[in-house]
Amino acid sequence: MPEWENWFEIAKQCKYLPENDLKKLCQIVCDLLIEEANIQPVSTPVTVCGDIHGQFYDLEELFRNGGQVPDTNYVFMGDFVDRGYYSLESLTRLLTLKAKWPHRITLLRGNHESRQITQVYGFYDECMNKYGNANVWKECCKVFDLLSISALIDEEVFCVHGGLSPDISTLDQIRVIERNQEIPYKGAFCDLVWSDPEDIDKWTISPRGAGWLFGSKITEEFMEKNQLELICRAHQLVNEGYKYMFNDKLVTIWSAPNYCYRCGNVASIMEFSSVHNRKPILFNAVPDDQRVIPDKAATPYFL
Amino acid sequence: MITYRTSRRTKGFGNIVVLILHVFTVKGGMEFKTRVKNESDIEEWEKSEAYDDYIGFITAMNKSVTAIPLNKTLILSDEIKKFLRILNMIDDWITEVEPLKESCRFGNKAFSTFYNLLKMRLSDILSNEILLDDQQYVTELTAYIVDSFGNPTRIDYGTGHELSFCMFLCGLYKINILKQSDSKATVNVLFSRYLEIVRRLQLRYQMEPAGSHGAWSLDDYQFVPFIWGSAQLIENPDLNPNLFVDEKVVQLFKSKYMFLGCIDFIMQVKKGVFHEHSNQLWNISGVQSWNKINEGLIKMYKKEVLGKFPIIQHVPFGKIFQFKQCDKKKTFATSSTIKVSSQSLLEKLKKPDTLEPNIINK
Repeated sequence: MPEWENWFEIAKQCKYLPENDLKKLCQIVCDLLIEEANIQPVSTPVTVCGDIHGQFYDLEELFRNGGQVPDTNYVFMGDFVDRGYYSLESLTRLLTLKAKWPHRITLLRGNHESRQITQVYGFYDECMNKYGNANVWKECCKVFDLLSISALIDEEVFCVHGGLSPDISTLDQIRVIERNQEIPYKGAFCDLVWSDPEDIDKWTISPRGAGWLFGSKITEEFMEKNQLELICRAHQLVNEGYKYMFNDKLVTIWSAPNYCYRCGNVASIMEFSSVHNRKPILFNAVPDDQRVIPDKAATPYFL
Repeated sequence: MITYRTSRRTKGFGNIVVLILHVFTVKGGMEFKTRVKNESDIEEWEKSEAYDDYIGFITAMNKSVTAIPLNKTLILSDEIKKFLRILNMIDDWITEVEPLKESCRFGNKAFSTFYNLLKMRLSDILSNEILLDDQQYVTELTAYIVDSFGNPTRIDYGTGHELSFCMFLCGLYKINILKQSDSKATVNVLFSRYLEIVRRLQLRYQMEPAGSHGAWSLDDYQFVPFIWGSAQLIENPDLNPNLFVDEKVVQLFKSKYMFLGCIDFIMQVKKGVFHEHSNQLWNISGVQSWNKINEGLIKMYKKEVLGKFPIIQHVPFGKIFQFKQCDKKKTFATSSTIKVSSQSLLEKLKKPDTLEPNIINK
């Protein structure tokens, strides 16, 4: 039995692995990811998921609603970490699934799978708190660097974390991006994980300070040129769980219920039996009484 | 709860700085501008006079409200009353600006309208209320208070804006408008009123936490009220630290102690279990004494707020807060540019309050 079988069981219980085991797990996943394409081909049936943001209990609720791996195939469109309390446990859970069933689960990169962003939005602090050093965080960032940028379902549904880029008009241009690096400040790679759709025609500057706001005309042109039926993306909270735009050519999927422990929103995943036959599955945050209370940890400042 | 790239977060404050620099160029005054341009400048900031003054102020106020709850009656000086009046006016301006009805993903855009109102009116009000020969002080103080309520582009609020308000307060001491005897009221009246206002703004315009570390932050929006609030609780007769996470205790003491007021606000705006959404505070509730909590929070504030480039990159320095290196251990309010007694305010505040003319026990 490979050692990750044991890790798989630990991760299911909302626990994190000893430092050396997690490093090994990261290495196993890195070896798998390096073989994947920038646009990873995927076939239906498959279920597409949006942001998770360290909400471990809600990730388990997602699996209860969408089906367990390997009974259901999944594409996760990034943002596994930051903001929530269980980023480490959620990421570990996804990595053990990837190690065990690499062809059943596709993990894409979100804008939060980055060194710079995780240092601001929580994952770095979480690793420091849980391990007392930054080693695990560094290893996880190596995995982030290798995550695929996008997925293409049955050659017609394009899945990406953020959206489009003014530097990208064909899918082939994505295929040649050197992705094994920290997400750059600007350019195609940056835009793909940072951009948002907006009710405009073309391009506008994004209030996020990275990526662009892209409009309906741009989307239409891109889809026609690349013979696409649908763009699936995540990256923005949708209170109703999912939202179609641009004549149903683009859908935002959001999979973190009660985002940031304050929004009270419902979450969703999108189940594709075929390109045209798809249904959203909605789910709520796991109730308080089903969450385990952790011990109070001694924070160094207060010793 | 939208993610921003940190390195390009300069929009909101930049405008003011440009405006102010223009004024100064005309008058030939000392430059008022941001000085921390990259991570490596943080060290210089930590060695600056400005840093020394600011930390001196935080600890001096901390000392002044130690064991002084909010319900202790204080007689207010005319200066405190004046600035309380200004804060009350700001509160009225919020009432003037209705939130927009459309659902806004990035916070309610009406906040920008409020912000423009604030910027326009505060400038006139402070010019009339703070009578100094040197207009540069007024200009700098105005910039700090205008930036205290959030960013109009991103419609967010965080510890950087709180820092700006504290710099405003500290500035009032540095130019001798507020006096040692005002220190309790600075925290328990002015800062406490400020908190009410920013909470109202956060709720009314759905402001996002600026650069929050999520579940790993002390709080989405504030830090300083936890410091001064924990000082109020030192040697208190009401509660041990382990009780501040108890909802009933919070309801009982939220008006008496600033710290509990903060917990009450978290419990209002957060959904879900406390230990998950506010894990840092959950851990702190396990610390033995309020004294230890207070000391720890000051250490944490230095590292997690004052030591962070994404926050300090927006802070302008000039005549009140000088970026030059702090050579000798001059502390708070002994800037050479300002005529004050040679004894620093921090030193003065350290002395026991022998006079207490302004304080009546309830």
